[in-house]
Amino acid sequence: MMIDIEVYRPEVILALFALIVPGVGLLVRRYFKDVSVSKVCAAFALLGVFLAFFDAFMFVWNNSAGVYEPVSGLLKLDQFSALFMMIFLAVAFYVILASARFIQEDKHQPEFYALILLATVGMLVVASSTDLITLFIGIEMTSISSYALVAFRKRDAKGAEAAVKYFIIGGLSSGLTLFGISLLYGVAHTTSFVGIGQAVTMNSPMQSVIFLALVLVVAGFGFKVAIAPFHMWAPDVYEGAPTTVTAMLAAGSKKMGFVALFKVLLIGLFAIKSNWDVLIGIVAIVTMTVGNLSAIQQTNIKRMLAYSSIAQAGYILIAIPVGTQYALAAGIMQIMTHAFMKGGAFLIVATLATVAIGESINSYKGLSKRAPFMAFGMAVLLFSLAGIPPLAGFFSKFVLFSSPIQQASVPGSEWMIWLAIAAIINSAISLYYYVRIVKYMYVDDAEEGTPTEKLKVPLSMTAAVAICVFMVIIIGVWPDPFFTAAQHAAAAFFA
Amino acid sequence: MLENVPILTLLILVPLIGAIISFSLGKHSKASKIVALVFSAVPLALSVLLLSEFSLTVGTFQYVENFTWISSLGISYKVGVDGISIAMVFLTALLSFLAVLFSWDVEERTHQYMGLMLILEVGVMGVFTSMDYFLFYIFWEVVLIPMYFLIAVWGGPRRSYASIKFFIYTHIASLVMLLGILALYFEAAPHLAHATFDMQAIATVSGSFGQLFQIVVFGALFFGFIVKMPMVPFHTWLPDAHVEAPTAGSVLLAGLLLKMGSYGIIRICLPTLPYGANQYQIVMVIIAIVSILYGAIMCLAQKDLKKMIAYSSISHMGIVMLGIATLGQLGIAAAVFQMFAHGLITAVLFMMAGIVGHHVGTRNMPRLGGLAAKMPYAAVFMMIGFMASLGLPGMVGFLAEFSVFTATFDSFGWLLLLPIISVAITAAYYIWAMQKTLFGPLTKEVDVDHIHDLSWFETAPLVVLTGLIVLFGMLPSLIFDYITPSVKILTAVVVGGA
Repeated sequence: MMIDIEVYRPEVILALFALIVPGVGLLVRRYFKDVSVSKVCAAFALLGVFLAFFDAFMFVWNNSAGVYEPVSGLLKLDQFSALFMMIFLAVAFYVILASARFIQEDKHQPEFYALILLATVGMLVVASSTDLITLFIGIEMTSISSYALVAFRKRDAKGAEAAVKYFIIGGLSSGLTLFGISLLYGVAHTTSFVGIGQAVTMNSPMQSVIFLALVLVVAGFGFKVAIAPFHMWAPDVYEGAPTTVTAMLAAGSKKMGFVALFKVLLIGLFAIKSNWDVLIGIVAIVTMTVGNLSAIQQTNIKRMLAYSSIAQAGYILIAIPVGTQYALAAGIMQIMTHAFMKGGAFLIVATLATVAIGESINSYKGLSKRAPFMAFGMAVLLFSLAGIPPLAGFFSKFVLFSSPIQQASVPGSEWMIWLAIAAIINSAISLYYYVRIVKYMYVDDAEEGTPTEKLKVPLSMTAAVAICVFMVIIIGVWPDPFFTAAQHAAAAFFA
Repeated sequence: MLENVPILTLLILVPLIGAIISFSLGKHSKASKIVALVFSAVPLALSVLLLSEFSLTVGTFQYVENFTWISSLGISYKVGVDGISIAMVFLTALLSFLAVLFSWDVEERTHQYMGLMLILEVGVMGVFTSMDYFLFYIFWEVVLIPMYFLIAVWGGPRRSYASIKFFIYTHIASLVMLLGILALYFEAAPHLAHATFDMQAIATVSGSFGQLFQIVVFGALFFGFIVKMPMVPFHTWLPDAHVEAPTAGSVLLAGLLLKMGSYGIIRICLPTLPYGANQYQIVMVIIAIVSILYGAIMCLAQKDLKKMIAYSSISHMGIVMLGIATLGQLGIAAAVFQMFAHGLITAVLFMMAGIVGHHVGTRNMPRLGGLAAKMPYAAVFMMIGFMASLGLPGMVGFLAEFSVFTATFDSFGWLLLLPIISVAITAAYYIWAMQKTLFGPLTKEVDVDHIHDLSWFETAPLVVLTGLIVLFGMLPSLIFDYITPSVKILTAVVVGGA
């Protein structure tokens, strides 16, 4: 029997490298004592990510049609999944690049890279899943790898606490999701999204069971994505985790939760959209408001970025109740830009931590004189998060916030204008805490007693930051190819 | 001769290149000043060339450059100038160049300062030449960042508060405006072959917009613009920003940034939403008159010379609004002329406030006195500036205000009595300010030896500006000839929407 390897290729490449990397680490440790294990493992991991990325990129570049996994039909490679694979792989790439230096003092380095690769494999599976079971397996694969990654510095009390918290919350959310899935299976007699979509309509029996399943699934994924009121764990975990891992959680695994929400709500339960769209709309508004208002009060930069991440999740959530192809493309665009903005910002925090700049926002005062490139990069990323043109964050917010305005002219959807208005107000609020950091870095003088000499930031981490900053500027100035790809992805999603 | 030269792109690009060079110069503060001077002189030369080549007869957009930028959304890089924008383009190039020259004594982080001044010029130039909403909005927001840093880094003691307030206040206004722009885009899309952000294309289908839609969207755009102008009651960011901003920053803030607001109303609100404009006429008149009177009365109460000038800006921008509110050809042309005139005059005033503050050490008027004896040349320029601002005949401000008031009388009759009170108040506060600062006995702050008169880099911009104030006061047609044909086209649309 011929198996069309193309569907699995990125996952297979990555999984292979996840297995190779610890072996390579072992060999290096035994036979080449003076070679850095971390660097060799990172190089192999990067190679794997690059090969998988290239595979997905060629698929997007050629705008190829969708390919189904032939045997069971549980996976599908199309423009949507390929684009998300590119996003996840890009995140994995810069996280690994930055981690090589960040964890060089730690033990078990080969395992670290293997875990990152396995977490990414899970994300890729989620991106191409066509069925609740594969989706769930992908999510669990990522989650379990992430628990271990968060606890990677096991002697660090904060990290260990964060890992336990993350593990318990993760277990709870998996339980909720599974329960929701089983209810959906009971109603629809299938676990494939398309099948559920056909079975669950306004006229199907057991509406209350369907609604319960909906609530459970949204709550389960809501924990993963950290939308209010399921967001409490995120700041603690983001703060406690090793910072490059935080970058992956915020930029990668969180976005995986959005893919899951898109698939369940916009394919599986699309027919009963009018039952849930207002609910999700309210959740979106509450999430962005809670995120922004909490972010203002933070004095720890990782917590501030974590709350800002919650706010951004609220923005992305707008795409779901609006539910048009344009809105989905806009949501994908926001996910793409956020992966670089937020990931890059966490990487800068990680980079500065290696040269003894603390996590308190006060330690960023006067930074522009000591680390000009890091300060510049942070300013660009923060302005982009705030949505200042001509940066990527402006463009993605521009299309995202415009989608409810477009839809508001459809009768029955007039209320969606409030999504845009709430998002705009929130965007204005968020400017305050983003600009505050910029002001600290560029305007204020360093606190008394801090040294004034220039900081020597590690080259590999600077490169990882530079990738993010570069992408944020490029997407902002020339968004056309990126948005076109997002539109193709949205078209493939609804096809 | 200019047919094949992308002159407007050059106007935007040259300062941008200059800014990048200046940023990269690092410690070489002298070199960055020269770079900034050269890269702001080139746009000035280009804008003069543009003025001389510009056709005065047609009134439509000229030197249009159009390139597709984001095809999936119908966004293009489209720039062009008509008679209204060309006046602003010239003002931008002129004031940017003079502000750089005036900042010759900045020694702290000079390369960043000069780079930001040039970025500011890029943004303002872009706003005045954009013919695409997306492009317009980008330039509109780009202006915020350099101005924020100019205030936050080189500003006065309360710079931190003032800069954040400026940034957030005007950013909120911009976001409301953005909502309006998006609404226009989606409303126009079904009536057009392709969805587009092209200003002219959207304006052509404005007839098919519903009345309620026009009122709501006009409100959103109008709000975005009047915060920038600023009009009472959305003016509170302005005095703070001005008092704390460095002098050249104030010059550009009052001279150029405020004009972006009134320009936006004229360029976007009126032709795109003519029905809304007619509905909002009464609102515009009220806001204009309140701003004129409130600004003038607040001036009477100020002790800080710079704060007084800031409030006088509100009053004078109110006159611009009054001209726009007439929705007639003379009124709008006069409003544009007043924008131009106020740009020149207010630059002189803020430069003088900066000079007084810098040389004497205080701008507090009760503590100043007898400056004319210590700084005779400075006193002359200050008097010229005050006289021009209070509307002395023969200077550019008189003609602008006179034309606006004429148009007001034509449109609203004796309602003119209200704004005209401000002329008397204005004269009062300027003459008092003059008495308190320039004449009278020397106070102990002024009666010290280290006070010297103007330096060359202060004198040169003042000479140029006062020269132009008199020149355009004597020969207003030099500017009116550019403005009038374009305003004629504009008002035809607005009257049609009544």
